[in-house]
Amino acid sequence: MPDQVVAASSLCVKLAQNDVIDNLNFTIGRGEVFALLGGNGAGKSTTLKTFLGAVSPSSGTASVMGLSVDADINTIRSKVAYLPESVMLYGHLTGIENIEYFLSLAGIKQAQPEIEEALTKVSLQTDAWHKNLSHYSKGMRQKTAIALALLREAPVLLLDEPTSGLDPRAIDEFNQLITTLANSGSTIFMVTHDVYGACQVAHRIGLLDKGKIVGMFERKNNAHIDIEEVHAAFSQGKIK
Amino acid sequence: MIRFSDFSRETIFLSRQPYVLIFLMIVLALSIFSVWSGIAETQAQQNTIESLLEKDNVDRAQALEKQSSYGSAAYYSFHLTYFPPSPLAFAAMGQRDIYPWKHRIRMLALEGQIYETDADNPELSFLGRFDFAFLISVLMPLFIILLLHDIRSSEREAGRFDLLIVTARNQHTLWTARALVLSIALMLVLLLPLFVGAAIMQASLSKTVLMALITLAHLLFWGAITITVGKLMAMRGQSSPRIASALLALWLTLAVIVPVVSDTAINKTVKSPNGGDLLLLQRETVNDAWDLPFSDTWDAFLSKHPDWAEHTQMESSFEWKWYYAFQQVGDQKTEDLSNAYRNAIAKKDTAAGVVAFFSPPMMTQRLMTSLADTDITASLGYEQRVRDFHQSLRYFYYPLLFNKSEFNLQVMDDLPRFLP
Ligand SMILES: Nc1ncnc2c1ncn2[C@@H]1O[C@H](COP(=O)(O)OP(=O)(O)OP(=O)(O)O)[C@@H](O)[C@H]1O
Ligand SMILES: [Mg+2]
Repeated sequence: MPDQVVAASSLCVKLAQNDVIDNLNFTIGRGEVFALLGGNGAGKSTTLKTFLGAVSPSSGTASVMGLSVDADINTIRSKVAYLPESVMLYGHLTGIENIEYFLSLAGIKQAQPEIEEALTKVSLQTDAWHKNLSHYSKGMRQKTAIALALLREAPVLLLDEPTSGLDPRAIDEFNQLITTLANSGSTIFMVTHDVYGACQVAHRIGLLDKGKIVGMFERKNNAHIDIEEVHAAFSQGKIK
Repeated sequence: MIRFSDFSRETIFLSRQPYVLIFLMIVLALSIFSVWSGIAETQAQQNTIESLLEKDNVDRAQALEKQSSYGSAAYYSFHLTYFPPSPLAFAAMGQRDIYPWKHRIRMLALEGQIYETDADNPELSFLGRFDFAFLISVLMPLFIILLLHDIRSSEREAGRFDLLIVTARNQHTLWTARALVLSIALMLVLLLPLFVGAAIMQASLSKTVLMALITLAHLLFWGAITITVGKLMAMRGQSSPRIASALLALWLTLAVIVPVVSDTAINKTVKSPNGGDLLLLQRETVNDAWDLPFSDTWDAFLSKHPDWAEHTQMESSFEWKWYYAFQQVGDQKTEDLSNAYRNAIAKKDTAAGVVAFFSPPMMTQRLMTSLADTDITASLGYEQRVRDFHQSLRYFYYPLLFNKSEFNLQVMDDLPRFLP
């Protein structure tokens, strides 16, 4: 993978005096799917937020498409679609209205058919499209937010536990979606607990523990990353 | 730069939020009520003046018919003086609730006639009447705080903050657009009733616009404070209730504590004669005059009116010229006290004007009452017009009394008339 679309270099983040991210170094190339695996509190969400400028590095650099988060965060944000860990949208608007609102915040105008197409892709049931979001389940909200991320048509996707709350069929469909996106050139940086899903879609997997990368796995000969191997790393106590 | 699209997006978005709509409806209702009650009070005052005016001429004509001397004519004819509410008074009743705006006076000693009405003024709470000026100066800051304090923090608490700032082309335009839409909506529901009221009362457009600009300036002050405090505290991770508490404390300080404490302090520091003392002194002077030698009254009277020195000889133990002379001496005796009393009022007002620089709600109220001619200056102006009119009565009657003219009802057609 030639271009470095997402890059962390000696990246450290302190939150409330604690070293949450400790000297991270990695790069993600164009069209690559990179998954960061780790236990609760390992620092996965914080790492993602650093690339969004929602958290500032205490030292080192985080950059997206060659732009440092310290310098040009608005440009970075225009090139990144983000799926937050817990999806909270506006309860008094319908799924479609929520999408329209956030798209217009980003200065993007998508026609109704495109929005419906995206909602179909994430298999949100049609009868929910025009219902207020306050009536949605967690998985339905998750699907709405994924559809929103797709509609951003951003070259980079930062996804925080994208499959949490999705049923198995929806997870399968999501994994296929990610693969298709990557094949068409999108760069995907996701954070997850789902070892199986990560092995299905990721080109590389980083294991994060206490803010440090403690293991890195890679596809060999275009075969999926070996789930046994990754799982072993967890159970060997590298990850608590 | 904020674009029109940001503005229209947030307008549609906020208009979909039930609580925003309910809030604006409540404010609209309060604004309508304040304007309506102001108009009702203004019209009641106008009606009172009109019905008194109708009676004024009739009563005086009836009283004069029965008279056979200028002295008794002066004694029995009352004159209505009044201060009609300005067209904008409905928006800021100001001192009209505290100072009298009508006196029926006659040519007796004046001070007593002016100050005796003081006694029957209703006690008003320090907050005063619920008029438009009160709504804008005291309550509007609360609306703004409620509406704008959690623009950021509420989104953080709802878990949408990160997604919003990451998605928005520029997060500042998002917050600015939201604050602007809410402020403009608030401004509209506040000002719409004002303009309708001003049209009903036929107030001048320029003064109404000035009133609206004062409202806007006050709104901008609280809007800027709320957004700045909200932003700084939200960035430190403070919750919406804490932000609201901090802002409410500021409101309490500027809208309640500063006005009340400064009012008490000003009343304590600025020395003012007691209105009661003034009344008493005049009453005593006038009552004592009956028992004093005539020369005492004449000496005091002539010190102000030497031109009547040749006309003071008395042909009986009671003469009207002597009676009115000691009435005037009653005013002369209390002149210093009365001046001191009015100076103290003006001085307190000046001091309050200085304090108002530290309390935008006070400043707003002062500017609005000044625009509506309902401030201290306007009330003192009316009092001065009453004094001038009373003076003109004396100038009318003195030649008739001192020259011993024969009573002629036709002469009374030239009685001075009070013009507001
Ligand atoms: N705002 C904050 N202030 C202080 N500490 C924080 C803050 N946010 C996160 N932390 C701490 O940083 C560490 C990493 O948190 P983070 O949310 O990145 O973990 P995570 O790997 O995403 O965990 P999970 O799998 O539970 O989502 C945790 O120890 C957490 O307590
Ligand atoms: Mg997390």
